[in-house]
Amino acid sequence: MPKTFLIDTTRCTACRGCQLACKEWHDLPANETKQRGSHQNPPDLNPNNLKIVRFHEYLDTKGDVVWNFFPDQCRHCLIPVCKDVADMAVPGAMIRDPKTGAVLTTEKTAELAPEDARAVIDACPYNIPRLDPKTKRLTKCDMCIDRVSVGMQPICVKTCPTGTMVFGEREEVLPVALKRLEKIKTRFPKAFLADMRDVSVIYLLADDKEHYYEYAAFL
Amino acid sequence: MKSTRRSFLKGVSAGIVCLTLGQLGFDLGDAHAYAGKLKIEGAKEVISVCPFCSVCCQIIAYVRDGRLVATEGDPDFPVNEGALCAKGAALFTMYTSRHRLEKPLYRAPFSNHWVEKDWEWTLNEIARRVKDARDQDMILKNAKGQTVNRLESIFAMGTSHASNEECAVIHQAMRGLGVVHMDHQARV
Repeated sequence: MPKTFLIDTTRCTACRGCQLACKEWHDLPANETKQRGSHQNPPDLNPNNLKIVRFHEYLDTKGDVVWNFFPDQCRHCLIPVCKDVADMAVPGAMIRDPKTGAVLTTEKTAELAPEDARAVIDACPYNIPRLDPKTKRLTKCDMCIDRVSVGMQPICVKTCPTGTMVFGEREEVLPVALKRLEKIKTRFPKAFLADMRDVSVIYLLADDKEHYYEYAAFL
Repeated sequence: MKSTRRSFLKGVSAGIVCLTLGQLGFDLGDAHAYAGKLKIEGAKEVISVCPFCSVCCQIIAYVRDGRLVATEGDPDFPVNEGALCAKGAALFTMYTSRHRLEKPLYRAPFSNHWVEKDWEWTLNEIARRVKDARDQDMILKNAKGQTVNRLESIFAMGTSHASNEECAVIHQAMRGLGVVHMDHQARV
């Protein structure tokens, strides 16, 4: 049975503990950054940031500011389109671990021609993979496969101080997600579980997906 | 027709949704090889406390061959139950960062640059200046003639990087000198 994350954005305070913990566990270096008028930093996913908390604000109809946080990461799709596109060019460039459901980029992604690598990135409905210009490999969240294979939790889930993230067996997480949705709908009637049937990383969004991030949900 | 991410996806999905390459017999068993060796394997777990704020989250420091290899929250500690904020989560970088100070730096009055000094010089200099300031400014009696033994020209700034016990000792040392202006920054 594959693993599944539930990311309840209504509990996220955008502390970015997950973003930093991911960086630390994967030994990724810091980025050169600058003040761009947003707490979202760095501005986008990159080979040094496999996870990033996105910030989005807007004025609602009452004139109140709504500030939404979205801890963005690979969804580890149950049928990963990126993997299929990569396999058409270089078989084995990406793999899906049947045990955990983790979709992984391997060192063979360095053999992808630039246009094939681009096609893999464009195929992702959630705009996740990034090309590392140094290693020429595609990079993205690996579900902390090293930790998960020895029974530990992914470092982002372990670090989250607000209980936004839940990780476990899919059959156990799905009921938790549905129960949480039911509860949160009393406060946020528009709440929904993004692409629940297709992905291993299920986001509970309280608002239209446009008010989180362009690629927050596919359907 | 302009190909967007979505139209591309739809085209691709239609072709392959029923026939992924995995089902054609490619080896999927190498995820285990990819997982590789856990970087904390064989490392000793040392319990420590995050130095940043007064919440005092407990952390596990993984140490192998005398070197720190990773840090993460301690799930057995009731305060943080394994969780950490962005500052606590970045403790390992605090240890490895090239910005970390390893020697005292001294900037002389009106100078615009820092000079590396050894600890002996630094501690002697601090002691000298504290003594001079106290000798010069110590107030023994107030306007009414009451004994106050007060020193108002030294200010002590506490740090969340100090433990409760260290804070107690610092506080007593400052009181011993007659310092009355003390404050604490808890979250920087």
